[in-house]
Amino acid sequence: MNLTSKPLAVIIFVFMFGGIALTSALGWWQTESTKEPAAYTEGEFAGQANPADIRGSYTFGDVANSFNIAPEILAQAFQVTDPEPATFAVKNLETMYLDSGYEIGTNSVRLFVAFSLGLPFDTTGQEIYLPKTATEILLAQNTLAPEQIAYLESYTVDVKPATTTEGEVAPAPQAESTPAVESAPTAATSSEESEYVVKGKTIFGDLTGWGVPQTVIEQIIGAPMPNPAMTVKDYASANGLDFEAIKTQLQAEVDKVKPK
Amino acid sequence: MVNLFGKRIRLFRPRSIWVRRIVQWFFFLLIAAIAINHTLAESGAAIPILSSASLHAVCPFGGVETLYTFLSSGLLVKKVHDASLVLAGLSILLAIFFGPVFCGWVCPLGTIQEWVGKLGHKFFKKRYNHFVPTKLDNILRYARYGILIWVLYVTATSGSLVFEAYDPYFALFNFWSTEVAPTAILILGVTLLLSVFVERPWCKYACPYGAVLGVTNLFRVFSIKRVESTCKADGACSIMCPMNIPVDSVKVVRDHQCISCLECTSEAICPVASTVVFTNGSVK
Repeated sequence: MNLTSKPLAVIIFVFMFGGIALTSALGWWQTESTKEPAAYTEGEFAGQANPADIRGSYTFGDVANSFNIAPEILAQAFQVTDPEPATFAVKNLETMYLDSGYEIGTNSVRLFVAFSLGLPFDTTGQEIYLPKTATEILLAQNTLAPEQIAYLESYTVDVKPATTTEGEVAPAPQAESTPAVESAPTAATSSEESEYVVKGKTIFGDLTGWGVPQTVIEQIIGAPMPNPAMTVKDYASANGLDFEAIKTQLQAEVDKVKPK
Repeated sequence: MVNLFGKRIRLFRPRSIWVRRIVQWFFFLLIAAIAINHTLAESGAAIPILSSASLHAVCPFGGVETLYTFLSSGLLVKKVHDASLVLAGLSILLAIFFGPVFCGWVCPLGTIQEWVGKLGHKFFKKRYNHFVPTKLDNILRYARYGILIWVLYVTATSGSLVFEAYDPYFALFNFWSTEVAPTAILILGVTLLLSVFVERPWCKYACPYGAVLGVTNLFRVFSIKRVESTCKADGACSIMCPMNIPVDSVKVVRDHQCISCLECTSEAICPVASTVVFTNGSVK
């Protein structure tokens, strides 16, 4: 059978658009991310969302939906000052840290989420940097394996974003190589943190971020510190503690470390 | 009708495959509109009836780039979407039947090279598309396979679209955005400049997706075939071929660079009816 140009043109259109229509009907035609990361297909974590599939187009809220890590924690970890961190797109981190000299972006969020939740994440041959604030939150959980701590020691950087998400100019970019991991926590930059007031919404991550030593917190609550994403109030009610009493003690500690 | 070589043959005035031009324009404008709409969508001003998909979502090569990651982990490389896999599958299936028609009829980067090439035709007349020495040209034609292997390797090992930073197709429809790497803009510029001298230089020497589709030329169902019994051997088909394939010296075009543009056929340049045909049958 001979074919000429006109039938071939029709075939191309039918093939391309028919194929798109068919795959749309089957649910295979996706031009946008579903905001739901693919799940691990095998092993102990089969069926669970895989942090390696977090996309730059996800917001912190999308990440929170899939991995149950509060957007506020992510914002604190990556020094995002957006008043609504749930709407902050992960890909914007690259722009924020553009002048820092280190690539901090989607991969950094993937690593943070995986380490935070103890999920498998292959770092072989990869140089994924985390800001010091993120590493401090991970270390505060006391759940990291020695090799994960070693990785963080190599790839933690003490940097500040060149611009905030609200377009304000932040202090000039700073970049120091590693020992950030062992050093004492520094005051972070979120607007919530800058208040230095213990409230119902205050999470344990805020306290460590403000500079209250973990040992002091544990002394006050009388137990190992829970997940940094947990609010002090929720922890108190879940453990039958008097939130107001704890709050007062914690506030006293916060006042000690608060910048004058 | 004339009597030629003892046979009654109908002669044609050389024409071009005009319907191909229309299809090329259509896909060029469609992809440009989608790219612009994607930019508008980021500021909340997208045109509702038009797709605002990212360029990565409507690029079939993304489907090839992500294949290893997809098969090994079930994940897609960052920025690639399911639609890329679908488009890759459709265009490869089309190529198995009809050759790399995606390159010759659909790809906007190929189209813009052809448009710029018209300037070259005007400036250089017959010299156009014959500047590269044959020996060098023959070697360079395989460079795209090397590029394909490199792209697949770096994508598989990094899990990211490394080629984006060098991709002139991405630069063509995103040159206004900050997402485009200067290297990609530079490569696009060089490609368009070279198009004044060489027809489809990117397709010939560098396109990794052309390399994938080009392989189907070796076994495709419909091929360009030349009927030796009626061929005048005037070489018109070879002169017209944008990919410099010596159509007049073969019976069946199995060259890995054919893009199924049909410009060499009796429907276009070949002056003898039913002599260079696009067929799945055998010819004498």
